[in-house]
Amino acid sequence: MSPEQTSLAFRENSVRALEDAALRAAMKQAADTFGTKRADAFAPVADLEALRDRASDIREEVLANLTMYVDRFVASATHAGAVVHRANDAAAARELIRKILADRGARRIVKGKSMVSEEVDLNSHLEAAGMEVVETDLGEYIIQMEGETPSHIIVPAIHKNRRQVGKLFADRLGVPYSDDPQVLTKIARKALREKFLTADAGISGANFAAADTGSLVLLTNEGNGRMVTTVPPLHVAILSIEKMLPSLTDLPAFLRLLPRSATGQTITSYVSVITGPRKAGDATGAKELHIVLLDNGRTEINAGESRGILKCIRCGACMNVCPVYRTVGGHAYGWTYPGPMGMILTTLLTGMAKSHPLVDASTVCGACVEVCPVRVPLVDLILELRRRKVREGFSDPKEKRGMALFGKAAASPLLFALGQRLAGLLWPVVRSMGGKDVAGRMPAPAKTPLRRKLP
Amino acid sequence: MSGADRERLFLENAAKAAAGTCSVRGTGDLPDALGRIVAMDSPVYCPGVTELEKAAAPLFPVRAADYADAAVTVEEVFGAIAETGTIVCVSAGGRAVQAGLLPAHHVAIVRRERIFGTLDDLFAAVSGAPPTNITLVTGPSRTADIELTLAIGVHGPEKLDIILV
Repeated sequence: MSPEQTSLAFRENSVRALEDAALRAAMKQAADTFGTKRADAFAPVADLEALRDRASDIREEVLANLTMYVDRFVASATHAGAVVHRANDAAAARELIRKILADRGARRIVKGKSMVSEEVDLNSHLEAAGMEVVETDLGEYIIQMEGETPSHIIVPAIHKNRRQVGKLFADRLGVPYSDDPQVLTKIARKALREKFLTADAGISGANFAAADTGSLVLLTNEGNGRMVTTVPPLHVAILSIEKMLPSLTDLPAFLRLLPRSATGQTITSYVSVITGPRKAGDATGAKELHIVLLDNGRTEINAGESRGILKCIRCGACMNVCPVYRTVGGHAYGWTYPGPMGMILTTLLTGMAKSHPLVDASTVCGACVEVCPVRVPLVDLILELRRRKVREGFSDPKEKRGMALFGKAAASPLLFALGQRLAGLLWPVVRSMGGKDVAGRMPAPAKTPLRRKLP
Repeated sequence: MSGADRERLFLENAAKAAAGTCSVRGTGDLPDALGRIVAMDSPVYCPGVTELEKAAAPLFPVRAADYADAAVTVEEVFGAIAETGTIVCVSAGGRAVQAGLLPAHHVAIVRRERIFGTLDDLFAAVSGAPPTNITLVTGPSRTADIELTLAIGVHGPEKLDIILV
């Protein structure tokens, strides 16, 4: 489907999400499970802080010399036999990939999970060109069937429960209804196996790219990433330019951090390191490998004060701990990337005018900073965007007047006490006027204000 | 880390990742081990290229010529990693890495002297001139995409057995 950005309606989206009982239940279960698994996975890691420092340093080194590392990657990957393309924006990436596929007569395309392909809205473009695009990650397969977009960057169908998936499969695939995840998984295996074996091309993303060897690195659990990159004769990989690592020998630090942060695993079931296409004497690999490097505004972000967000390795840990994400889910954010990293990246990639309500989608509690494996300064970045929102005139005038009033009252003990008294007295009126909006959901003021309880 | 430590840690971590593990003394013990692991009435793909594979191949009454038609792949793999309980498959020497992906059961034979201690040890060894494909395999294919509930055997093998020789 073609996802229209709805970030401007973040508040309306959130209210709708709060009324969705199935979503709330799914999000709560997910949050609890993620928290425990992540903590257990990191428990045996000695010197975790040193490991995070090292990973953070490597990411900063890449961003400080991004052009150099990208050029080095292009040279190494080309030397290894891949064809590397540069795409300045989403439209260029979509068209490049369509052309690569169309020129080779590709009709059926199997796809591994790639958030960058979601960012550029690749599927609808290829489908409009008459190609069959099949998402093969189980979560992506489910939401593609439902006509939805991912609500989490690691677990795309996290918002759905097993009964919803069971009903979807029964309706669409004509299989007997089951709500057993193991049975549903087997159904998908069978349906997708045939697609893999008959596909003309595979499209994948990449978690990392090693500049020194020109290798693509993919972390997967299901095995679909391996299928997509080795079974069809043509492999097209799309990744954004900041995924570089200086060297393949830098990879171990990230292999220790990413799966633990993402799913609480020591390592994913599969880690594929792909260096060029199949060569003479090889029996593995696509015959042709095309790599599309997407900029889409990243060079500009890298030159500005929000560079830190480009350190992100897309583990999703920040959203799993975010009180806002855990309450409203990923779709409320209205674009490809949700949660703390998502609200920042969305604002930067799509512009303040299309996304400014998102910069309020945080309590700045800092839980995200605590779990980020590569030390992205998420709270600092959010505060910086809030300052920019005010500077650029996107803040609500009512909020401005309210804050000015509060500022005056807070500066005078007499006025402040009067305000508190009035708030208590007028609360029933405020509540009835507020209805379903913000005021209607706020807790009533305490009978005795905290400052009078304190010595 | 001594060789014995690497072996102990590897077996421990591979088992944690839900791989079946067994350790035999030499090539002579391979038939027994394989007899316990492999369903002999199902089509087995065994490349029969390395010495260990040559010893294994004649044991299987039903041989699949192509891994795409096999229920089981039995092969010797490049090495293993103690830190994570991982086996390492590489495309060097004309190996089909996807042979260990398509069939529902993957049996990997590893020589114990090929166990690397850490991920760093492995990448230090292969990053000079990496082959077309290096795949680290840790346990069977899995997903938790439905309600974060673990399900085994999505697109890759539902069963991974490792024999240390």
